[in-house]
Amino acid sequence: MAADPKQLKLVKNVGSQGIAFGLDRVPETDRIVYGSSDFQVYEYDFGAEKSESKGFEGEGHRSYVTTVAVAGQLVVSGSYDRRLVWWDIETRKQVRVTESAHAKRIRRVAASPDGRLVASVSDDMDVKVWEVESGELKATLKEHKPMTPHNYPSMLYAVSFSKDGKWLATADKVGHIVVWDVSTGKTLKTLEAPIMYTWDPRQRRHSIGGIRSIAFSHDGKLLAVGGIGKIGNIDHLGGPSRIELFEWQTGKTLHQIEDSKHKGLVEQIAFGPDGSWFIAAGGDHNGFLSIYETGSGKLIKQDKAPMHVHQFVVNEVHDTVYAVGHHRLATWELKAKDAKPAEKTPEKPAGKKADEKPAKAT
Amino acid sequence: MTVLDVLKNPSLAAEIKKQQKHVILLWLAGGASQLETWDPKPGRPTGGPFLPISTNVPGIQISELLPKMAGRMQDTAIIRSLSTGIGDHGGGASLMETGRRKEPGLQHPDLGAIIARELGRADSQVPDYVSFYASTEGRRKGTSGYLGARFAPMFLSDSMIPLNIRRLESLSEIDHRERADLRALLARRFTRGRHSRNNVLGSHTSAYQRVRGIMASEELFSIDSEPAAVRAKYGPTQFAEQCLVARRMVEAGVPFVKVARAWWDSHGQNFETHQELCADLDHSMSVLLDDLEQRGLLENTLVITLAEFGRTPKINGSLGRDHFANAWSTSLTGCGIKGGTVYGKTDADGQNVAEGKIGAGELFATIFKALGIDYEKEYFVGSRPIPISDFGVHPIDAVLT
Repeated sequence: MAADPKQLKLVKNVGSQGIAFGLDRVPETDRIVYGSSDFQVYEYDFGAEKSESKGFEGEGHRSYVTTVAVAGQLVVSGSYDRRLVWWDIETRKQVRVTESAHAKRIRRVAASPDGRLVASVSDDMDVKVWEVESGELKATLKEHKPMTPHNYPSMLYAVSFSKDGKWLATADKVGHIVVWDVSTGKTLKTLEAPIMYTWDPRQRRHSIGGIRSIAFSHDGKLLAVGGIGKIGNIDHLGGPSRIELFEWQTGKTLHQIEDSKHKGLVEQIAFGPDGSWFIAAGGDHNGFLSIYETGSGKLIKQDKAPMHVHQFVVNEVHDTVYAVGHHRLATWELKAKDAKPAEKTPEKPAGKKADEKPAKAT
Repeated sequence: MTVLDVLKNPSLAAEIKKQQKHVILLWLAGGASQLETWDPKPGRPTGGPFLPISTNVPGIQISELLPKMAGRMQDTAIIRSLSTGIGDHGGGASLMETGRRKEPGLQHPDLGAIIARELGRADSQVPDYVSFYASTEGRRKGTSGYLGARFAPMFLSDSMIPLNIRRLESLSEIDHRERADLRALLARRFTRGRHSRNNVLGSHTSAYQRVRGIMASEELFSIDSEPAAVRAKYGPTQFAEQCLVARRMVEAGVPFVKVARAWWDSHGQNFETHQELCADLDHSMSVLLDDLEQRGLLENTLVITLAEFGRTPKINGSLGRDHFANAWSTSLTGCGIKGGTVYGKTDADGQNVAEGKIGAGELFATIFKALGIDYEKEYFVGSRPIPISDFGVHPIDAVLT
């Protein structure tokens, strides 16, 4: 089936083990892997008639599992415990542990489209690139500042590869965005989205925002970042959800989109197959899933989520969204009515590309 | 001799140190989370993501968000069993400021005013009670209640230096001094031959001297005269700089200084909020304790962390924690405190107090006793006796030396 954003509808909504923070999907299946506040990693099969969350086996983590990524036959999970744990996707058993992968809490990992590399970001403000097969650290990329302009520890929340695997984008608490060349580890471009920082200098003297999500369009020309807009009362996530869209190579801002109907953080963004639309999801106490037209920045379709959405992924043909969040797992479909079945193209084939060099260590 | 001259005289400064006791109250306005500070619950559904860390006192663990304090627990007692029952900001703040519930027709003084009354000296030329609250949210000026304006706080919000203690520009220093001399001459003539027990004029004279002293104390509020190395240790945050001013105040003889750090009210993104604010608290408090200790002031200075309440063990949909007064924590460091102790215990998820439940009254009685103040002392409002601690409460001797 082809995807039609206007047909967006929630189709399944079940409880999760703990608060579900990060997920990825096993290619060509309805199986997701998610990390939880109970320090565990689970698999859940949305395609099964009766399913339950099945735990991965091993020493695992000692704190919230904030992120997971499927890379070939392995799953890598990152946690506030600073560890990366590598798991076999079929046996659900631990393969290796990278102790002290970062000096501070790990926020997000992302697998390269070819499954050879994994990038991790952490509150130590380092971007680290790991070789999946060996678990070897290939590069440490430094550009994000450890302290905010107001002398508090900063945080590095978001990371994403471009579809061709050449570029890596990262974004932090104060709204600083960096695009890296994966092969050299060099900075290609920096951009700023300072409104998402949300520093309150007068009433409450702290911040709760930051760029929480980042995504390249499929052609690699556009970069979207998500977070929250200016908040009057930063006790709550009471500000408009906010997205900024850049032509990153020129630095041109295409759109600044805010939504005060569904407030809170934009925790994840993903572009549709031809780049003409993109999905954003997140929330405050509640959750939302919104689809915008890329060219105009206009809202195409929106749905209230049954939970604050922490992350989502889409399937190969972009007609199903798998999401995790506050104690819940959910799927939406956006299948075109009476459309011919689309040809599926795997997003993450396992194996190496011969012509691609690993990033250099710095 | 001004207060600044006193500071420059080591023998006099040492004598003041011996005699005077002080309080620095670090007010964590909005309600800091006990689970992210003094009472971590690792591995529990309520515990949050932060790991516990061992401290320099065997057997005591606190949140990893306070790594510097973890190395300085030898002088600190943690109380993990506050159960105060009032979960709104105004009511909770009033309770924890005065040590008792509000009473119709009677305004009780807050802790600062009582300490100013008990530890302040009539001839002091420095303020008795200084209160910093820079943020606007939850700002409360404090009250001396029935003790009267004499013990009201010098309240500082927009500037760390009091705005109204400077001599008017239209009046020269010479004019100002000559006016004071003239007033003193007239006062001496007035008292000559009058009844020796009439102390009204003496009180007026004392008040004028006090004003002169406070006017001369402006430099106390400025950290510019601190060595660069000391300022660097405290660092650039406003809270840290106010802690440095608090140390200067204590050194000069001010009995009570409150430094409020707002705003901990983390209904959304509790963990992000505490990563920012705990870093500020951990660093500022650690440097302050070190500085007090190195100057020989910590044994006579009680440093308290307190708020209007703690935060819910339950984590809400915004990854926040809400108001919670049922089971939360405070810390007491320094003067009169048995360091390296923990009093009270909460249950596995931090929902209820399992051992040693106390209220605001017991905490206040403990603070008074730590400072050598009779916690059963009574004030009189008209003919009505009112104990300075709430009726029927007792101090927690387990945390006292």
